[in-house]
Amino acid sequence: MSAKTLTQADLASLVGDLVAAGTRVVAPSRTGVGPLQHLDYREIKKADEMTLDAGLPKRSIKELFFPPTEVLFRWKQKKNDFELQEVETKFQKTVVIGARPCDAAAPEIVDRLMNWDYKDELWNGRREATTIVALACDGQDKSCFCTAVGLGPDSTKGADVLLVPVKGGYHAEILTAKGEALVKDFGKRFGEAKSADEAGKFRETARAKVEGNLKVDPKPIRTWLDGHFEDKYWGEIALRCHGCGACASVCPTCHCFDIVDEPEGIYEGARRRNWDTCQTGKFTLHGSGHNPRGTQNMRFRQRVTHKFAIYPRKFEEILCTGCGRCARACPGGMDLLEILSDIGQMAGGAA
Amino acid sequence: MQALQELARKLLTDKTANVVIGWGQGPRGPRPIFVTQPEHADRLIFDTRCVHNLATYLNPRRAHLVPFVKKAVVVKPCDARAVAGLIRETQVKREDVVLIGMRCGGVVRDSDMDGKLTEATVSPRCMDCPDREPKLADHLMGEEASAPPKGKGPDMIAKLDAMSPAERWEFWQKELERCVRCHACREVCPMCFCDRCIADKSMPQWIESSPHPRGNLSWQMTRVMHMAGRCVGCGECTRACPVDIPLGLILRKMTQTVEERFGYRVSDDPTVPAPMGAYRLDDKQEFIL
Repeated sequence: MSAKTLTQADLASLVGDLVAAGTRVVAPSRTGVGPLQHLDYREIKKADEMTLDAGLPKRSIKELFFPPTEVLFRWKQKKNDFELQEVETKFQKTVVIGARPCDAAAPEIVDRLMNWDYKDELWNGRREATTIVALACDGQDKSCFCTAVGLGPDSTKGADVLLVPVKGGYHAEILTAKGEALVKDFGKRFGEAKSADEAGKFRETARAKVEGNLKVDPKPIRTWLDGHFEDKYWGEIALRCHGCGACASVCPTCHCFDIVDEPEGIYEGARRRNWDTCQTGKFTLHGSGHNPRGTQNMRFRQRVTHKFAIYPRKFEEILCTGCGRCARACPGGMDLLEILSDIGQMAGGAA
Repeated sequence: MQALQELARKLLTDKTANVVIGWGQGPRGPRPIFVTQPEHADRLIFDTRCVHNLATYLNPRRAHLVPFVKKAVVVKPCDARAVAGLIRETQVKREDVVLIGMRCGGVVRDSDMDGKLTEATVSPRCMDCPDREPKLADHLMGEEASAPPKGKGPDMIAKLDAMSPAERWEFWQKELERCVRCHACREVCPMCFCDRCIADKSMPQWIESSPHPRGNLSWQMTRVMHMAGRCVGCGECTRACPVDIPLGLILRKMTQTVEERFGYRVSDDPTVPAPMGAYRLDDKQEFIL
């Protein structure tokens, strides 16, 4: 791992260089005014479309690799036969600038699933084409808990380059071969590293700030979850939950999908993959009419258990980066930090 | 607040209600709480940050709340309109619910704000709300409230009305392309109580489930049409939308149209039939021919 310096001006020029080289550049970007203002990761053409100082975008980074809807293949009916049309699995070279560490870490966690038995070409194609330049943050608000899931506001997981804000620009840590390639291709934009100490202080302060939000140990939580599927705690966990799935929509690691066939004319159509969520009753509704997760309490138990026990058991990764979007987005006031803290206490007592 | 807590304690002690659904302090401001023990009644609070429409918890679609049977609910005037809607449409029996009405001078946009009501912080839905106290209530509490501050900025509906159809189309295309079809707007809506929503029916697939512009437009337009004369204007869909689509704008426009066409404004009187549920000889029909 090496380090460089990237000034504000050089970062702006780098965006221009990348766009000129035919690379798609994606960054947090603010559009609209007043109540119609949106901060999202979106393709930018110029550096001034980038908004790096307004915190965490509303939607997570996952849609860059796993769009809300995508075509898997198209079909055409020809008399008694079908013709199938494959979709492109090679994607335009992309650089994401300013991904928050809790977003940068997410695709690496979901990589495990997408390459578990079936290798997902669409996911992998986008992953291979994308370089992630993460930006260390100093905590969004009291719902941040990245440090409680083994990450941090300065975590390097999933990032190819990590930028840490220092006076006049950024201290850049080059973390992977993709990161090295970026620095090699645009070497004139990167200067000698000289602010490692200042960056270190920023990281330390940010960590201390986020650590105060939630202190739990995920290991005993996992053990507790494994042994308490029928615990009375779940009985009333989700009284206020609407089952709307807003949490899953904004979650960087939730990856469940539905597959549908849609006609696009009389003799042709497309098979699509769309986001889905375990928080709706329809998700587990059987054709018989039976629903094994019949109430919202059971559905919410699934959300917590999948993230903190089932996925870790299968892939040795917690399916959560502590971004806190679920708590911020929930219209009913469900709060994962509170639930983890509750379980942490129960697990502590049982151990 | 003390009066509210005392009433809740009494309702739970004498078993008039098995649960009091109100607001309590949460990690990000007030949030819905379900008080079942009289000794927990002191957890109830009410202030300008109590944005949620709790009538939605009376919706029979919420299977996990049905076992409470007798529920007491704390309601603002807009929430009371939703309860009236559920009674009007035979989803809730008046005698099964105890309504604790709160006088209200408006709420802020979101529960994690500091609660000071100003032009900048007032929820858009409160700006043209004429009701300061719910009439549909068994108990009425809180201090006399004055009208909420008028919001800042241009009236978006007037602005949209002034646009050409092409411009308006472009505006909504842009907003609706953000929709990820999580259906949070439907799930939080107190008036969305269909056992099987048309959006979930797949034989035939009336509405495409994919979040592409075609599917998003048909979903949002269908929902708005199903809300005609029923939407209580509580703004929960707008608040719940995780991608900030200004859904309230379409619904407010639809509400205006219903008022113009049918002289009907949704009230908290469950005995007044909604236009869709009533037959009137003087209904306008010049559009038929």
